[in-house]
Amino acid sequence: MCEVIVITSGKGGVGKTTTTANVGTGLAKLNKKVVLIDTDIGLRNLDVVMGLENRIVYNLVDVVEGNCRIKQALIKDKKYPSLFLLPSAQTRDKTSVNPEQMKKLIDDLKPDFDYILLDCPAGIEQGFKNAIAAADRALVVTTPEVSAIRDADRIIGLLEANEIKKTELIVNRLRMDMVKRGDMMSIEDVQEILAIDLIGAVPDDEQIVISTNQGEPLVGTDCLAGRAYMNICNRILGEDVPLLDLDTKNGIFSKIAGMFKKN
Amino acid sequence: MKSKGGIRLAKKLRDPVIIKSTKNGINLVLDPELSFDELLKAIKEKFRESEKFFKNAKISISFEGRDLSENEQFEIIEAIQANSSITIMCILDRDEILEEVIARKTNAYIEEHSASTGQFYKGTLRSGQQVESESSLIILGDVNPGAKVVAKGNIVILGALKGIAYAGAGGDDRCFVAALEMDPVQIKIGDFIGRSADKVRQAKAFRKKIKDDPIPQIATVYEEQILIEPISKGLLKNII
Repeated sequence: MCEVIVITSGKGGVGKTTTTANVGTGLAKLNKKVVLIDTDIGLRNLDVVMGLENRIVYNLVDVVEGNCRIKQALIKDKKYPSLFLLPSAQTRDKTSVNPEQMKKLIDDLKPDFDYILLDCPAGIEQGFKNAIAAADRALVVTTPEVSAIRDADRIIGLLEANEIKKTELIVNRLRMDMVKRGDMMSIEDVQEILAIDLIGAVPDDEQIVISTNQGEPLVGTDCLAGRAYMNICNRILGEDVPLLDLDTKNGIFSKIAGMFKKN
Repeated sequence: MKSKGGIRLAKKLRDPVIIKSTKNGINLVLDPELSFDELLKAIKEKFRESEKFFKNAKISISFEGRDLSENEQFEIIEAIQANSSITIMCILDRDEILEEVIARKTNAYIEEHSASTGQFYKGTLRSGQQVESESSLIILGDVNPGAKVVAKGNIVILGALKGIAYAGAGGDDRCFVAALEMDPVQIKIGDFIGRSADKVRQAKAFRKKIKDDPIPQIATVYEEQILIEPISKGLLKNII
């Protein structure tokens, strides 16, 4: 049974693409057959974050327009043989595809995969409508900022209106030190406003910047963000994983302390 | 005599028949002084001219400017139908005073009942969503920032009001807005607007709100200002 998950946020720059890359890679790590679809036509970058840019020959629009078969456009991941990417077109725009075509494309992919992850563009226009057309489930990414939360709220309303029943929240770029000082909203504050189930919280981690630049998702590696993403993947599979304690300082002392804890 | 002739001329220059459109059809403004036969001729001419415009319209008709007997009305209608492809469905009595009275009474009825009848809306209103009602509104959920509730009557929110509420949208400033948690961006009652204070938005403020139990509050118009106060029995007696 294949589940189609859209990763969306409304606001740009909150980490949809990074989340898609990491959650997708994580699910592949857990031996699931996964395809990532970049629906951000004209502004593609999931391929860059995955480090697969140089392998692109055909893209989403080519498939929809019948210039190639789906299998030809799918790019196999460098590390995980059960992970594929369907890149978006860079030279076209959102109107090149409509929701019906998107649905058909996904229906064609469903028999071969366990999970189809859709990286949604920012905004609520055509690109968003394309991305959510075939989704069973939505992960709404937000940062603990008023503007991002406002947009997430709007998005949740639109998802409800489009009858996507399962909508879960990822709070991204959380800084526990700021939350403690009272300068940043906590997970509870965000949840209080948006009132949907939380599926994970990811700390603001400089490792993320490094990993996206290198094109190697850090899910599963031994850093806070890597563990947080792995937990999200396990929760997607239905496991009951307790929320990660993000309250570790990023200083050298706590790192050393962490090393001792492991042993 | 001369002046009388002048007036007559002016009248003649004016169109003896004017067609005005109304909500349901047309209103014929007729010259009161012309003889009926002349008038009939003018009507025939007029409708022949505008035949293309009306095509196969089915409309109602009303008359103005002249008292017509039933027979005369009948003749005019015959003339119109013979000279155009219009079908006249009915004759409307055009009485502006009556219309006004009816409009006033319906408005008064709506206004009176908007405050005493209500409609339920179940669910949280999220940013960009809006609910409107001709009566009062009871929201079973939160009204988030960016969402809007508009009612001709009162608004009761069994949840948090963090967006915009507009009660008494027909102009009635005796209406009220009540919420279990009152933190609106803006409240409008009748013609009066109140907005939230320019507080420094800090995460601390968010945290505090969760810990303190929110007090149910009610907003009314008091001395031309929006007044928000905790709900008490005495207060409710005065309002409802």
